[in-house]
Amino acid sequence: MNERGGYKQDAIRVGLLWLGLVVVLEAVWFATEILPRQYAEEAKIIDDAFNLLTILGIPVFSFVVAMLIYSAFRFRSRNDASEDGPPIKTSKPVVVTWLVVTSALALAILINPGLVGLAELRANPEADLVLEVEGQRWQWVVTYPNGAEVRDELVLPVDTRIRFDVTSVDVLHSFWVPGFRTKIDAVPGLVTSVYVTPTELGTFTDDVNLRLQCAELCGIGHARMVMPVRVVEKAEFESWMAEQLTAEAPAAEGRG
Amino acid sequence: MRPLIRAVVLGLVGYVAGAWLTVAVRGGSPSDDVAVVFGFILGLIGWLMGIGVWNAWAREWFGLPAKPDQATGWKRYFTFNTDHKVIGIQYLVTFIAILLLGGAMALVMRMELARPGQDFLTLDAYNKLMSMHGILMVATAVAGVLGAFGNYLVPLMIGARDMAFPRVNALSFWLIPPVAIGLLSAPLLGSFDTGWTAYPPLSVVNQGGQVLFILAVTTFGLSSILGGLNIVTTVATMRAPGMTWGRLPIFVWGAFCASILSLLVTQFFAASLILILLDRVAGTTFFGAAAGGDPLLYQHMFWFYSHPAVYIMVLPAFGVMLEIITHLARKPLFAYKAVVAGFWGIVGLSTIVWAHHMFTSGMAEQLHAPFMALTEAISIPTGLVFLGALGTLWQGKLQSKTPLWLAFGWLFNFAIGGITGIYLADVATDIHLQDTYFVVAHFHYTIVGGTIFALIAGSYFWFPKITGRMYNERLGKIFAVWLTVGFNLVFIPLFWLGVNGLNRRVADYPEFYAGPNAFASVAAYILGAGFLLYAGNLLWSARRGPAAGPNPWNARTLEWQLPSPPPEHNFPLLPEVVGHPYDYGVPGSVHAAQEAAEGGEE
Amino acid sequence: MALSAGAAHERAEAMWRPRANRLGLWLFFASEAFLFAAFISARFVTSGTDKPDTLNQPLALGITVVLLASSISAYLAETSIAHGDRKGLIRYLSITILLGLVFLVGVVFEFREAMEYFPPGTIYGSNFVALIGLHGFHVFTGIVALAVALGLGKKGHFEPDDYWGVEGVVKYWHFVDLAWVIIYPTLYLF
Ligand SMILES: [Cu+2]
Ligand SMILES: [Cu+2]
Repeated sequence: MNERGGYKQDAIRVGLLWLGLVVVLEAVWFATEILPRQYAEEAKIIDDAFNLLTILGIPVFSFVVAMLIYSAFRFRSRNDASEDGPPIKTSKPVVVTWLVVTSALALAILINPGLVGLAELRANPEADLVLEVEGQRWQWVVTYPNGAEVRDELVLPVDTRIRFDVTSVDVLHSFWVPGFRTKIDAVPGLVTSVYVTPTELGTFTDDVNLRLQCAELCGIGHARMVMPVRVVEKAEFESWMAEQLTAEAPAAEGRG
Repeated sequence: MRPLIRAVVLGLVGYVAGAWLTVAVRGGSPSDDVAVVFGFILGLIGWLMGIGVWNAWAREWFGLPAKPDQATGWKRYFTFNTDHKVIGIQYLVTFIAILLLGGAMALVMRMELARPGQDFLTLDAYNKLMSMHGILMVATAVAGVLGAFGNYLVPLMIGARDMAFPRVNALSFWLIPPVAIGLLSAPLLGSFDTGWTAYPPLSVVNQGGQVLFILAVTTFGLSSILGGLNIVTTVATMRAPGMTWGRLPIFVWGAFCASILSLLVTQFFAASLILILLDRVAGTTFFGAAAGGDPLLYQHMFWFYSHPAVYIMVLPAFGVMLEIITHLARKPLFAYKAVVAGFWGIVGLSTIVWAHHMFTSGMAEQLHAPFMALTEAISIPTGLVFLGALGTLWQGKLQSKTPLWLAFGWLFNFAIGGITGIYLADVATDIHLQDTYFVVAHFHYTIVGGTIFALIAGSYFWFPKITGRMYNERLGKIFAVWLTVGFNLVFIPLFWLGVNGLNRRVADYPEFYAGPNAFASVAAYILGAGFLLYAGNLLWSARRGPAAGPNPWNARTLEWQLPSPPPEHNFPLLPEVVGHPYDYGVPGSVHAAQEAAEGGEE
Repeated sequence: MALSAGAAHERAEAMWRPRANRLGLWLFFASEAFLFAAFISARFVTSGTDKPDTLNQPLALGITVVLLASSISAYLAETSIAHGDRKGLIRYLSITILLGLVFLVGVVFEFREAMEYFPPGTIYGSNFVALIGLHGFHVFTGIVALAVALGLGKKGHFEPDDYWGVEGVVKYWHFVDLAWVIIYPTLYLF
C-alpha cells in the first residue's frame, strides 16, 4: 500500500514530466513553421487564432500524455494476482479544481481567440473592390466591376479590401483560397460574402495555396475545380482589368 | 438457414413486385426513383416477414399462435432469435465485418491518393467509393458499440433476463442486412457521390443510387430508434432489486444516454432524407432555390442529428473504456457521479451545437458566436470523462492486458480528437479548416480513435465472457501497439495537409501535397495489415483458446458472476444488488448477493 | 415458503411488464414528436406562415372535427373493454375506424385540390404534400392497428384486466390526433 508521502511524490514526478513535455512541445511549435504563408490580413487573424489555440492546447494534451506515461510505468501491477488498488472513490477538491480549470480554459478560448477573432474578421464592412463570383460545375466565373467575366485566372490588387459576392447556379460549391484562409459556400439562390485584403504579391505557380479551390463536394469535377490566383500591384491590376474587356478571349499571359 | 433463404427470396420477390407494380401503374423504367422506392419498401417487408417477423410476431395480430424459431447452436444467429446475447453477437460480427469492408475501401482510396494525379480510379469512382466508405463507417460507429455491447451487456449488467422488448430487439438487428444490401447494391443504379452527408442540391440531381442511400439510411435510422427505445426502457424498468441509478455500471449509463439521443434525434436525419426523396420523386422543391427552396434547411436538419450522432457513437465507447480501466486498474471508478453528470451534460448540450458545422455555409452570421460558445462548452462535460479515466488509473494496480493497452491508446487519440475539435469550434480557424483534411483527421481521431478503439477493446475484454475462451494475450498486445501507432501514422500527416490547403473529398491534388499523402498511404497499408492479426487472434481463440472460466479479470460487475458464456435468460434467480459495482479495495464490500441466487429465497 | 425460480420470475415480470409497455409507448411518441417537429420546422423555415388563399378551409375544418370525434370513440372503446363490455369495444373500434377512413377520404380530396392550386413545385405545396403525407401515413397505420385490435377483440382476445393491445392502439390514435391538432393550424391557420 502506498503511503500519503508516496502519493505526493507521484504527483511531483508527474508534474515535472508534464512541465517537461510542455516545454518540449511548445518549443517544437515555435521552432517549426507549420502554417502556410499568409497572403492576406484575414490570414493573419486566423493564424493568430490557430497559434493561440495550439499554445493553450499543448499543456492540456501534455497533461493527458504525462498522466498516461507515468501511470503506465509507475502503477503497473507486478504480480498477476488481482490485488486491489487503494479505494479512492473521489476527491472533491480534485473534481472542483478540474471543473474550474476546464471551465476557465473554455471561457478563455471563447473570448480569445473566439469572440476576438470574430470581431476582427468582421471589423470592417467597407470594401474598395467588389467582385462577383459564380460557382458552376465545374468552374468559377468572376465578374469584375468593369463587366469583364474571367474564368481562367483570378487577378487581385494588393493592399485592397475586396469583397467577394459568391453564389452558385447549380449545386453547393465553396470559395476558398488557402493562402487567404477565408472560405464561404456558394449556395444557389443566396449571395454570400467574404472579405479579403491581400497583403503579398504572388502567383499560383509560385505557391500552390494561391488557388481558388472549390471546397464543397459538387460532383465529378470537384477536385479540379480550381482557379489560379495572382496578386499584383494596384496599377498593374487596373490595366489588367481593362485588358480583359478588350480581349474577347481570356488573357493568356496570366499563366506566366 | 431456412429463414435466411426465405428472407432473401421474399425480399427479392417483394422488390421485383414493388418495382414492377410501379412501372405497371405509371410507366417508365424499373430503375426510376419511384420504382426503386416501392421496390425497396416491399422488399424490406418481404425480407422481414421471411426472416421471422411473420412467424414469431405478426401471426399474433391475426389471432394465430406465434411460432418462434426453435433453432439452437450456431443456427440461432441466422434466425429471428430474441435472446439479447445472440443479438449482441449478431451486431458485433456484422459490424466488425462492415468495419473491415469499409477499411478495405479506405485502402483502395489511399492507393489512389498515394501520389498526385489520377491513377486508377476515375474522379467519379473515387467520389463514390469515398461516399460508400463514409456511410458504412458512420453506421458502424453508430450501431457497432451500442448494438453489440449495449445488447449483450445491458441486461447482464443490470441483472435482467432479457431486454424489455425482445422481438423489437430482433427486429432492430434484422433491419440491418437490408441496409447493407441497399447501400452495397447502389452501384447498380449509379451509386451515390455526395459523401455520407448527402447535401442537396447535389443529392437531388445525382444518380439513382442516391435513392437507395436514402432508403437504406432511413431504414438504419428506424433500427437505431427501436434499439434506443429498447435500451432506455430496459434500464428504466428492469433493474434487479437494489440496482439503484447510483449503482448503475458506467457502461449502462453510456448506453442509456446514447440511447436517449438516438431515440430522439435520429428522426431529424430520417426527415431530412425524406425531404430529399420527396424532391426527387414527388416533385417538391424543398431544396430547389429557383422555386424558393432552401439548401441550408437540409444542413440544419442533418446536423441536428449528426452532431449528436457523434455522442451516440462515443458515449457507449466512454462506457466501455471506463469499464475496462476500472476493472483492470482495480480501483473504484474515480468521481463516478461527476462522470455520470458529464454524460448528462453531453446529452443536454449535444442537441444545441449543430450549426458549428455551418460556419462557412452562408447561414446568418448572428448564429456564429452562440454556436461557438455552446460547442466549446461541451469540452467541460467531456473533460469529466477524462478526469474519471485518468483519476482511476492514478495509484491503480494496472493489469497489463490488451484491453487496458488499447485504453491508453484511446485516451491518447481522444485527447488529440478533442483538442483539434476546438479548432473547428472556433469560427476564425474553422473558416480556414472547414472541408479540409484537418476535418478528416479530426473526426477520424474521434470516431476511430474514440469509438472504433472501444469496439475493438471491448471485443477483447468481453471475449472470454462471450466465447468462454481466452484470446492470445501476446498477439493482442502486439495488435494494440500496431493499431495505435499505425493509426497515428496515418492521420497525423492529414492535419498538416489540411492546414496547408488540401481540401477533402478529392481524388487528385497538387504535387505540393505528395509527401505526406504518400506517407499516409504506406502507413494505411501497415495499419490495414494489422487487422489480420486482430481477426486471426479472435477467430482462432474462439475455437481453440484456453477455457477462460466465469471471471478471468476477477471483476465485480454482474456479467462476470455468471458462467461464460451465460446461459439463456442469464440469471437462474434474480441477483440482489447490495453495493457499488466498482468498490475495489473497499474492505468487505459486495456488489451483488450471489448466495441468494443459488438456492432460492425464503 | 420457498418460491420456485419460475414463479419468482413471473411475479417480477408482472411488476415491470406494464411499466415497460407504457414507457416504451411514450418513448415512441417522444421519438415521433421529433419527426413531426422536423417536418413542421421545415414548413416555417422555408415558407414562414405564408399560405395560399385557395385552401379549402371548410373541408379542413370538417375533417378536423371528424378526427377529433374519432378520438372520443377510441376512448369509449378502451373504457368498454376495461368494464368487460366486448360489444362496446367492437362497436366503438368500428366507429373509430370508420371516422378514420372518412378523414383519409377528406385528405384525398384535399390532395387533389392541392395539385391544382398549389402544386408541389411551389414551396407551400411542398410543405403541404410532406406534412399531409406524413400525417396521412400515420392515420393509415393507426387504422391498420385499430383493425388488428378489432379483429382480435372479435375473436375474444382482451379482458378487463388485460387489454394492453387496445390501450396501446388507442393511445397511438390519440397521438395521431394530437399531431393533427398541431399540423392543422401549421398549414391552414397561421
Ligand atoms: Cu466542388
Ligand atoms: Cu458537430
